[in-house]
Amino acid sequence: MIRVPTLGILFCLMVTALGCGGPAGFRPIEPDKVLFWDRQTVENADLLHGIVDQFNAGREGLPVEAQYSGGYSEIYRKVTTSIQARALPAMAVAYQSMTVEYIQAGAVVPLDSFISDPEVGLSSEELDDFFPVVLETNRFSEFGGQMCSFPFCKSVLMLYFNKRVLSEAGIDTAPATWHQFLEQCRQVKSDTGKYAYAIDVDASTFDGMIYSRGGDVIAGTETLFDSPASLDALKLLETLAKEKLGYQIPPGSYDDRDALAQDRIAFLFRSSSHQASVGRLMQGDMARWGIKAIPQADPSDPHTVLYGPNICIFRTTPEQERISWQFVKAFTSPETTVRWSLGTGYLPIRKSAENHPEMKAFWKTWEYNRAAFDCLGFARSEPNVAGWQEVRDLIENAQTAVLTGKRTAEQAAAELKGQADAVLAEAGG
Amino acid sequence: MMRKTLRYALLSLGAVATTFPFVWMICTAFKTYTEAASPTLRLFPDVWQWRNFLETFDAAPFGVYFSNTFLVAGVVTGSAIVTSMMAGYAFARLRFPGRAVVFGMVLATMMIPFEVTLIPNYVLVTRFGWRDTYAALIVPWCANAFSIFLMRQAFLGLPADFFDAAKIDGCGHLRFLLWIAGPLVKPMIVTVGLFAFLGSYNSLVWPLVVTGKDTMRVVQVGLTVFSGAEGVQYNLLMCASTIVILPTVGLYFAAQRHFLEGSLGAGIKG
Repeated sequence: MIRVPTLGILFCLMVTALGCGGPAGFRPIEPDKVLFWDRQTVENADLLHGIVDQFNAGREGLPVEAQYSGGYSEIYRKVTTSIQARALPAMAVAYQSMTVEYIQAGAVVPLDSFISDPEVGLSSEELDDFFPVVLETNRFSEFGGQMCSFPFCKSVLMLYFNKRVLSEAGIDTAPATWHQFLEQCRQVKSDTGKYAYAIDVDASTFDGMIYSRGGDVIAGTETLFDSPASLDALKLLETLAKEKLGYQIPPGSYDDRDALAQDRIAFLFRSSSHQASVGRLMQGDMARWGIKAIPQADPSDPHTVLYGPNICIFRTTPEQERISWQFVKAFTSPETTVRWSLGTGYLPIRKSAENHPEMKAFWKTWEYNRAAFDCLGFARSEPNVAGWQEVRDLIENAQTAVLTGKRTAEQAAAELKGQADAVLAEAGG
Repeated sequence: MMRKTLRYALLSLGAVATTFPFVWMICTAFKTYTEAASPTLRLFPDVWQWRNFLETFDAAPFGVYFSNTFLVAGVVTGSAIVTSMMAGYAFARLRFPGRAVVFGMVLATMMIPFEVTLIPNYVLVTRFGWRDTYAALIVPWCANAFSIFLMRQAFLGLPADFFDAAKIDGCGHLRFLLWIAGPLVKPMIVTVGLFAFLGSYNSLVWPLVVTGKDTMRVVQVGLTVFSGAEGVQYNLLMCASTIVILPTVGLYFAAQRHFLEGSLGAGIKG
């Protein structure tokens, strides 16, 4: 039997719990600042703060403040927690899969009205100056095709190759097609005894393998993992594993870059933003390696994957939202995108960067410096539908299953298709 | 003799296995970026890179982070000791209605993962206007069920005769707690203090969530600056980690005897 004092305690706890119900609507975490939660550190953070200071100096009103808020997953955690608290920063970096969840929570400001605003918007010439893919990736079909974020740090999937290892195998040109890639892997193995490719199991790389075969990963609400392009990509992994041409590196590690720098492999696939890190590992010996577009099924119709987070503007106050947009606009201006690109290694997202003297000077310093920029024109974004983050995990599981021999390419493709469709149906329903 | 040699050999092996990660961390702190990224098991750097320490302190304001950490961990430790002593004593020695239920509820909070309480705690802290304040870093951790449980067990271990004798001499609960029971459970107090200090010192997610300004951040948040989207600067990360663990190692050695007594007495492992 429960006694009266115990009931009293339980009653108090219930009253306290009921009192925790929150009011509707969002408010800014910092009413006196336009807070931007970001993940840049060290030199990149210094550059970002410089750009923010420049923006603040040129205007009156609330200042923008960029705050380092941990890695992307920590920022996601902070934002989702803040959504529950109904108190948000003005802006945060976010991948599309994160943005979808923020939109579902009603926390994101669609940018279309700002873009078309005659006073603070972008003219059609300015919009045309952006590479279409960097804008397209921020339009969310599930939410009326609204522009719910804006490009921030962009890069593309590239092939990195070690010239010394290729040369040992008698190869003087890195592969342009997937057929050549497999043949060169075999040649490296037979002539040098080394693995040709250190495989970083990654959903975006797999999507790139599909795109570059002329395929797609989704049509409407169904995935296309049982398509010929997807099956070919899995079969390539199967062959690489069976013939011991490649090996899987530990998830989340960067062992492939170290292996490339130590002449232990010939190839790796990574985002172009890794170029500076690989260069450092090569200890400045830039003649020893190169970077180019990923192999294609048809080099005359190339495709690769666009990487990188965007900036989301959150519902705070009309003033903070407007200043946030002005900052985003200034950050993506032709001059600043070049400055950001040169300082960080991310790609400039404006076509006009091609004629910028500083970009030209940078591209001249190494024959491969321009390679990633040249891929922006044919890069494609990955799906930004609800549930895609979970699908990414399934893609990586399928890759691992094939590489470890637990599934054949056909089995993995069929299984992946079934699981991914179920996830998307559930997320969309 | 043979058995003794074998025993020492096994103990030595265990000691080497335990200390190797620390030795690796210290050696990596002095390597170049390339050497640190190398997958080989080469322990020592070619050239000892002392400037890594300068680079580490340049990368983030570790001085500020350290002072915040010590302040927060110090207050949390003191508060946890006070609250757990008082609550533990109450649960062990005082008779009041609903004691078993309340104690059960306190223990039940140990079953709730941090991830579950993160959002409610953050909502409360935000509504109180505590974001970017020491209150947000300290208050939620001033009392915890595990410490209360430890102290209760320690007080239960004291013979009731002590209290009866003290009561006859006119001693109330508070005086008994402070002057008689407290000194008798000192090893457990040290243990509770160490756990509270280490828990606060090592926490990352909560400080990251409730703070934004560099002036309010703690050392564990500082360590994350060396992990970027394009890789980890292992040499600088290990350099910072070496500096960050020094106070806890020092604290452990200072309180080692009490900690072992308390741990063994309470049957705590790991």
